[in-house]
Amino acid sequence: MELLLQATVQGLLVGGAYALVALSLGLTYNVSGIINFAHGDFLTLSMFLALAMQVAFRLDPYISGVLLFPVLFVLGAGVYHFLLRPVAHRHLLMVIQLTLGITFVVQNGLLMSFGGQPMRVPSAYEASLILIGDELAIRTPQLLAFVGSLVLALLLWLVLDHTETGRRIRAVHQNPRAAALMGIDVPRLRMVIFGVGIGIQALAGVLLVPGQPVEPALGFRYTVIPLMALVMGGLTDFRGVYLGALLIGVTEALGTVYVSGTSGMMVPYGLFILVLLLRPQGLFRRA
Amino acid sequence: MMRPDFFQFLRSPLLWVPVILAALLPYGLSSYHLAIGTLALLYVSLALSWNIVGGMAGQISLTHSVFVGCGAIFASSLLVRLGVNLWIAMAIAAAVSAAIGVFIALVDSRFRLGHLSFALVTLAFAEIGELVVSGSEWLGGASGIDLPKDRGQFWQFQFGGGSGYFWAALVLALICLVVSQAILSSRLGYFLRAVRDNEDAAQAIGIRLFRAKAMAMAISAALSSVAGTLYARYSNFVDPSLLASPNLTIEIVLVATIGGLGTPLGPLLAALVLIPCGELLRGRFGGSLPGLHFFLYGVLIIIVVLTSPEGMVPRLFGLWKRFVAGRARSRDV
Repeated sequence: MELLLQATVQGLLVGGAYALVALSLGLTYNVSGIINFAHGDFLTLSMFLALAMQVAFRLDPYISGVLLFPVLFVLGAGVYHFLLRPVAHRHLLMVIQLTLGITFVVQNGLLMSFGGQPMRVPSAYEASLILIGDELAIRTPQLLAFVGSLVLALLLWLVLDHTETGRRIRAVHQNPRAAALMGIDVPRLRMVIFGVGIGIQALAGVLLVPGQPVEPALGFRYTVIPLMALVMGGLTDFRGVYLGALLIGVTEALGTVYVSGTSGMMVPYGLFILVLLLRPQGLFRRA
Repeated sequence: MMRPDFFQFLRSPLLWVPVILAALLPYGLSSYHLAIGTLALLYVSLALSWNIVGGMAGQISLTHSVFVGCGAIFASSLLVRLGVNLWIAMAIAAAVSAAIGVFIALVDSRFRLGHLSFALVTLAFAEIGELVVSGSEWLGGASGIDLPKDRGQFWQFQFGGGSGYFWAALVLALICLVVSQAILSSRLGYFLRAVRDNEDAAQAIGIRLFRAKAMAMAISAALSSVAGTLYARYSNFVDPSLLASPNLTIEIVLVATIGGLGTPLGPLLAALVLIPCGELLRGRFGGSLPGLHFFLYGVLIIIVVLTSPEGMVPRLFGLWKRFVAGRARSRDV
């Protein structure tokens, strides 16, 4: 019972962090129509940049995150404008290829600069634990990651649902042509949103980095799992995506605890395949 | 069944002269360069067999590492644990791969996945495949399997030294090329291209989608699996992080796309050029700049997708034709 509780809480915390990556992926996908297989690699990039700033200026990763946001925003907007926009209307295979190409460039650029050894980024709260009762221990950085991503998700929802900018973004998602006729500068909005989506990776990166060994190949995992959460949640439904990410986090944690060896790690993938086959419109949406 | 141009292709000196020249290479190359040539030919087989599904049928399959891993790891396990003759183990692994391929095609047609869902489902299969291997002691786990020493006994699937494996890889690449060309010139090839261009229209004119896709998947999976077995026997060791990992599929997909999908020539030439370049770069800079060749692949694929999405080989052919036509015109004037 203790184990179940501990694993579930652990899974929820990890899932909350996945959710932020999944939401930013969903934001860029819904507005620009581009499925970005390099999304997770920008996360690794921000982790390595946080590491570099830690080594060079003794900056705590949490502070680096705020400083890195504009850097990754500009990078994301640039990648969209110069690389992705020209192929956006083409066959999906081309878009996937191009973003896989970006994956190769980022991953191996990091490998060349930092080497392949997993590295750790020290931070202030890295080793601290919060004890609840005598059976539940929560690592502080994971709680911070969960709360941070929840706050960002709420912020995102507020902007999308309750502001004029949000209305414009939704308009471009629903019908880009009509949005353009209403006087919205669609290409510019898409570029900005792509920049925001990549910029969020800077924040997600530093939220996830404490206690996480950083290596260049890490990014692929942080593309695949959020992608699964996104598809399970039904692509456009942000609450669904958030719940999908939590579900993946929990199944992963429970799978690792209750199913022996690596078979436990298969549980989320199996769940994903089942959801995609049985409820292709997403877990929480009506057909 | 076959169109006559398939038999023209088989008789063409454009096919046989390069093959014979390649077969003579072991007499002139150092063992280092011969090893690079063997690797390039193995990648030719992998790129050509992926092209049957990814290029001809337009299905973005990211599951091919499972087939290569099945051929490499499952077949090696059959040999090492049960003493099965590796030829037979190769055939069993190829059959299992083909069955997995058909199953994926079945899932695809039963649930009518779109392109994106298909890519993601196949990717999830690939991730599960890697986890199955690393979790199973019988399959060698994460540390891999050592194969018994090669004594040059052909009936044991042993080809002796570097030259033997080079020729074996050459034969396999040739088989993949001929099979690709045969598919292109047969009804199946037309079906696949129709499916790629418009699935609904293809179904409307009476193409049985499942049958066409399942055949493409089965052929592609079996060929990839055989290439995996040869790869494992050649390197005497199965490295699961190399052969069962989705990264291998991505590398194959990128190489095939840089060359140009659809016809066999693009993936073929791209693998023959890129793999040796990558290996030479790795040999020279591997110590100081690991990953340089993958970095350059990435840059190259970005350039190719942006400037000539049909692929480098068709692009270069187009330029060459324009050049020739231009010269002919200027002569006429």
